[in-house]
Amino acid sequence: MTTNWFSAPAPVARRVRGYFAPVNRVTQTPVLFDASEEGTFSLDAPPAPWISLGWIQGLTRKSVSKASPLLTGIPASTLEQVRETLEAQVSFQFLSWTKLTMALATGSQHMNLLAPATGAAAAALGAQATPAVVAQGGSTASSIALASADAAKFTAGSMVALDADYTGQTGFVGSPVAGAYVRTALTDVDYIRRITFNVALVSQVSSTGLTLAQPLLGGIPATGAKVQAVTGFVDREGGSFYQEWSALFVMEGSQGERIFFHYPRLQTLAGAEETVSPLDGKHQNGQARVMLKGQFLALPVTDPLDGERVVCYRSFLPAANALV
Amino acid sequence: MQNAKDSFYMALRTRLTGINPERTTLVRGALRPGILVEEAEAPFSQLPNDVFVLRWLGLGVDLDLGSAMAAAECEILYQTCGTQSFGGLDRGRALSAMDEELVAMLQPFHIPKLNYAATPPAAMLTQVFWDEPAIGPLVAQRDRLSRSAKVMVYSYQEQGE
Repeated sequence: MTTNWFSAPAPVARRVRGYFAPVNRVTQTPVLFDASEEGTFSLDAPPAPWISLGWIQGLTRKSVSKASPLLTGIPASTLEQVRETLEAQVSFQFLSWTKLTMALATGSQHMNLLAPATGAAAAALGAQATPAVVAQGGSTASSIALASADAAKFTAGSMVALDADYTGQTGFVGSPVAGAYVRTALTDVDYIRRITFNVALVSQVSSTGLTLAQPLLGGIPATGAKVQAVTGFVDREGGSFYQEWSALFVMEGSQGERIFFHYPRLQTLAGAEETVSPLDGKHQNGQARVMLKGQFLALPVTDPLDGERVVCYRSFLPAANALV
Repeated sequence: MQNAKDSFYMALRTRLTGINPERTTLVRGALRPGILVEEAEAPFSQLPNDVFVLRWLGLGVDLDLGSAMAAAECEILYQTCGTQSFGGLDRGRALSAMDEELVAMLQPFHIPKLNYAATPPAAMLTQVFWDEPAIGPLVAQRDRLSRSAKVMVYSYQEQGE
């Protein structure tokens, strides 16, 4: 009789793919991943709201939870174990520098360098910016409708940030991704556009607006949102804000099996740090790849199934025809 | 390992047809995609130009697993003299084109294993998989440019193999 199964050895995987989704900081609601429903997704097209950050390198998961023995008897021996602390850490290197990977790999808020106004005084986080222009109705996540005079201020190949004016609010600011926590009201009307994750590259400019090379993270712009040119990004060592994201790491094995590591709440653990990797191993002082190093602390969620507090879910979808 | 070797070759052949359908070769009167397995053809006095030739080298087996894993090293050789219409002055470009085709042919790095001894080929249970190629340096011999790349091809042994 022909068998229709095989005994699968340990998975063999080449690389790890990383996906992140914003935690709603105001309601403290993470994004949950269900491997039973979503586990077979195309690695290039993750289910919403997960955002692919591409391949990552050097993924290290470490449980630093502590357990203590409950001793009894003379001489004492362990009767039970009790979990004293629940903690896990994750670290890895991003293989790309983007707005999102930089933000994830910094210990504090991450800001957009808005294009400076003519003659503005220099400032570390970016000078006073060129005034923003209003996005018109009919804008979408990948196109911004503008008045023709406003559209003429942008060029293909430039970057833009799109979000609302800052009007003195405090607490978490930025939607759907909280980019900062404001303790006391500020005076910079562009502050939300400085910290927004709604940034994109402009691929085309026409008299009616901008076509974006990538969709905005926040989707369709809200009424009254404004656009400003961005020249780059900046972050700081210090500050009191911690990035917090839901994370999903996927290892796909050679036989199609998948291992998922799902952290509902990851906060950055350390300040910005880079890892340098020479392109040519024989030429250590030559060209080298500079990778962003991400170090995270996993925070707990309460599992609604049984009320247990957990920091990570590991799921495994075996290969087809593999014995389990 | 024969099923894995056959599956690997057929995968590359199918992919090459999609990448560059014009890369063909005439073998025993039949026009075929320009990729051959050396051990499955009459001995060559000299490797053909503008064709990928697969040469199977080392073999290793790991028996300490639920299913034994076999690894076979495949060397992929190719060479070109360029085209007559350019007097061979395009041989560098022709080799670059083959370099690009080679890298494209090898992706993705896995393929279902089939038994080509059956007609039609029978699907097996596991996947054949491999790693990035180790691409060798360019070798110039008068007007001929050649190169080879080595790929380690892995497969789990199934019942009956």
